[in-house]
Amino acid sequence: MNAHKDTARFATIAAKVRAEQPLDLDDGVFLYRYPDLLAIGALANERREALHGDKTFFNVNFHINPTNVCVADCKFCSFARLEPDAPAAYTMSIDEVRQKLVERMDQPVTEVHIVNGLHHDLDFDYYKDCLRALKALRPDIHLKAYTAVEIHYFAQKYGLSYEQVLTELRDAGLDSMPGGGAEIFAERARRKICRGKAEAEDWLEVHRTAHRLGIRTNCTMLYGTVETLEERVDHMLRLRELQAETGGFQTFIPLAFHADNNDLAKLPPPTGVDNLRTYAVARLMLHNIAHIKAYWIMIGIKTAQIALSFGVDDLDGTVQEEKIYHMAGAETPQALSRVDLVRLIREAGRVAVERDTLYNERWVDDGAALEGIRIDASLPFSSEAGRVSLPVL
Amino acid sequence: MTTGKTIRVRAVSFLNGRPLYHTLADPKHTPRYDDGTPMFELVEALPADCAAALAAGECELGLVPVASYVAHPEWEVVPGIGIGCRGPVETVIVCADRPIEEVETIYLDGASRSSALLLRLLLHERGLSPKLERVAHGRGEGLVHASKGRAAALIIGDAAFGLQARFAHTWDLGAKWFEATGLPMVFAFWAARPGVLGPEHVEALQRARDRSLGKYAEAIAKQYRDELIARLDEQQDPADAEPVLPETRYADYLRKTIRYGLETQQREGLVEYLARCRAAGLIEIPGLDDEDQIHVKFVGTATPEALVAARARRAAPLDLDEILARAEAGGRIDLAEGIFLYENAPLMRLGEAADRRRQALHDHGVVTYIIDRNVNYTNYCVTRCKFCNFYVPPTDKTGRGYVLSKDQLAEKFRETEALGGIQILLQGGLNPDLGLDYYEDLFRWTKRNFSLRLHALSPTEIIHIAQIEELPVIEVLRRLQAAGMDSLPGGGAEILDDEIRNRISPFKNSTDEWLAVMRAAHELGMRSSATMVFGFQETAEHILMHLDRLRGLQDETGGFTAFIAWPFQADGTRLKLRDDTSAFRYLRVQALARLYLDNIDNIQVSWPTLGPEIGEIALRFGANDFGSVMIEENVVSTAGAHFMMTAKQIEQHIRLAGFEPRRRTMTYTLLPRSPGPGEQAASSSSLSPSAA
Repeated sequence: MNAHKDTARFATIAAKVRAEQPLDLDDGVFLYRYPDLLAIGALANERREALHGDKTFFNVNFHINPTNVCVADCKFCSFARLEPDAPAAYTMSIDEVRQKLVERMDQPVTEVHIVNGLHHDLDFDYYKDCLRALKALRPDIHLKAYTAVEIHYFAQKYGLSYEQVLTELRDAGLDSMPGGGAEIFAERARRKICRGKAEAEDWLEVHRTAHRLGIRTNCTMLYGTVETLEERVDHMLRLRELQAETGGFQTFIPLAFHADNNDLAKLPPPTGVDNLRTYAVARLMLHNIAHIKAYWIMIGIKTAQIALSFGVDDLDGTVQEEKIYHMAGAETPQALSRVDLVRLIREAGRVAVERDTLYNERWVDDGAALEGIRIDASLPFSSEAGRVSLPVL
Repeated sequence: MTTGKTIRVRAVSFLNGRPLYHTLADPKHTPRYDDGTPMFELVEALPADCAAALAAGECELGLVPVASYVAHPEWEVVPGIGIGCRGPVETVIVCADRPIEEVETIYLDGASRSSALLLRLLLHERGLSPKLERVAHGRGEGLVHASKGRAAALIIGDAAFGLQARFAHTWDLGAKWFEATGLPMVFAFWAARPGVLGPEHVEALQRARDRSLGKYAEAIAKQYRDELIARLDEQQDPADAEPVLPETRYADYLRKTIRYGLETQQREGLVEYLARCRAAGLIEIPGLDDEDQIHVKFVGTATPEALVAARARRAAPLDLDEILARAEAGGRIDLAEGIFLYENAPLMRLGEAADRRRQALHDHGVVTYIIDRNVNYTNYCVTRCKFCNFYVPPTDKTGRGYVLSKDQLAEKFRETEALGGIQILLQGGLNPDLGLDYYEDLFRWTKRNFSLRLHALSPTEIIHIAQIEELPVIEVLRRLQAAGMDSLPGGGAEILDDEIRNRISPFKNSTDEWLAVMRAAHELGMRSSATMVFGFQETAEHILMHLDRLRGLQDETGGFTAFIAWPFQADGTRLKLRDDTSAFRYLRVQALARLYLDNIDNIQVSWPTLGPEIGEIALRFGANDFGSVMIEENVVSTAGAHFMMTAKQIEQHIRLAGFEPRRRTMTYTLLPRSPGPGEQAASSSSLSPSAA
């Protein structure tokens, strides 16, 4: 590489970013390959601060995965069990789903995140009943439920259009959709890691439909499997195009692939530098998506904290129970308490903001003593979780 | 201009106390504030009365028995000054007409606290339980005579002079303690009510001690003897009186027998004494759990001049961009600028400047690492640092303590060689049973049987050995070097600032002691690394003073090869404090260190405490070395750091960060590219764990 030429090219890209012009595929790939990690990080940080200042968002949610029985055979997944009688396969009854919320009735949870395997033998009513049961218990709670892959599966299985599926679910209580299942859009890579799953166009069409129905959604990218850097940037560009059309995406969440306990275990893990670079490139490519979220369950709390200086403005933090990544050996505690999370954000020189699902601000850190704001007593301090070394958290 | 209130002082009237206050009592020499007000107003008393007066608030400063401090953890101890001994003390004596093991009663001198407690401890450890009866100071000797052999007496102070000649059976408690522990005994120190003393008082008290011992020991001896003779003339029955000894005897006692310091080893002796007393159930320390270590709170010491100057300089505005540009270009930044950067520079700015500085220093795109093995030869340690989870006190009876045998060491060394290791990082606790010959023998044996370099013994251990052997540090280093020691690890530095050290490890070496060992080692041609552990609630000033002290020494010697910082690992240790030990702070500290330490070539990442991902990222924040494969590590891993990596994984992380991995030696000489035998280093889980 010609270092001088590269520096000039980087300067051109930086100028485009500052002029709020969209970057193209080549720009993105160049940024991925540019050796000066901190220059990219600083540029992404500039954008992040222009958009959000020091605000760093989090919300208080919990996850329910009602079933892990799944007809898809994604190579990267350690969670799904193909058959209902496979060891560790489970399907909750509606009452068991309901019970998950009952257990948290005294907690300030504002959102439930619901994702499933693609079960071969459940009625559509099951999914609607899950939502109804939860809403009946707490009408004010936000239900962020079912990925585009599930919506696509429901449409096929129950012979409905996306619009019909989404409308019925919305009527049952669905408020917004998570961004999972996007994996990587490029056909070559997608075929290798998740043959049999919704195609890229299906995924995008589900979200397009949701946005049209007024359902806000998130979007994701699974990286660190077999995809090329070009395919990562291509993925981001396809999301950006849909966003330009609908404006319905709230947050982009890059998901680092976890290589334990699944069919891709031979791959090297995504690493610190690759993770930071991906956040930074995403912040720079996705000028029209407001938020970039780090999912610390996957990348570790330490890297997530550093990511706040590389374009990330949102931490998926207070997660009480997360089965999917933990079956893949993620070595982070399963939950952070509110105090831990706010401390982590403060230590990174940022201001913690508790948001609801739609990014309305519920609470802004005023720098008061941390002990006073620990309202969620049931979540363990991670030092007590005892999973890994966490000097602070 | 200093000004302040005159502090009321009670001091022990015994001869051995006088060197600590001789010049305080002299109007000509007594320290004064700038406005002429005397700092101290002195009243003499017996030891136990000094403590009682201090407890009652009748004075603010007292020369008190260490045993009385136990009940008053709020008191602040004056650093560096004590009254103690290393071996016979001559003036703390148990005397009897028959063997002391056989007496029914022992009369305790009513003036005594520490000595009486020490006697109870020694009796307890011997399984003896005579009746103990407290009597007025000066009455003991007569009662022993009257008991016709059934009783003994503990006599302290000047009345004990010459007792050994007058009784058939005596115990010198200083000698007995030394026999039992190999450590000095501290009987008394200056203690103050909290918040009263400042650095100026500490300095005045230390100067008074130095001056008295330096110039006035003979004068004190003569004065004491004259007073004694005058008292004798007034006394009715000269048979009971204290014998008059030659002046030189008294002077020798002051100069040789009594130790007036409170340095590392005296502090070790002190904590050993209190710990044994507690283990024997003789004392209870309010507010301290059984598991908590005993610690002493010291009065803060003076602010270093460099820091005072830096504070003054910071009154004027500083230019962040200019400072960073200068540092990035390899220019020197001063203390004020360093503190300013620590407090104001954003992470990414520090990182970018440090990354460019790293690139300028190491322009070949190489990141190095070493294959060595951390062998902790013993976990017995007298220091009891609050932040350490690894140590086992020498008094421990649970069997957790160990000293590795040569067979165990040989196995570890052989495994290291088989895995391509070139060096042993040998560190251990401060074990009072291991003298210099242990290490000399170990090093010679290692060099005879293995082709491994010895990166051995942190300054803390060197100081410990020097004190056990009563040898100068340089002599210990010279002998260890002759026996095969190649270089020193930089451990035990923690934060090189006594304000922090006194808080977290009061019984460990001071900042100056640590630096002095490194200076001596460098002068002998041995290289060393330098470390920093942060997360003890230190401020920007503490961090920068640490860096500044390292940089200053490096200017003198050039002996440091590398610097490595890591956050304190608190899990399960007894240090109950919470501080920012985040990855974010780590990267800022490391980047700043790269810029500030313009004369230290290499910066190592600390992946064992932060994980390989942050290790990788840290290579973009000023570091150029990935440290060691760490075939074994026992200290931070007992406090919650569990990361282990193979050479292959390390190389992978180095490549992912965009660098070419190369193996190196301790002095950062690159090894040839072709991998050696046993290329695949294993993690500790596949090796037999250490005896820990």
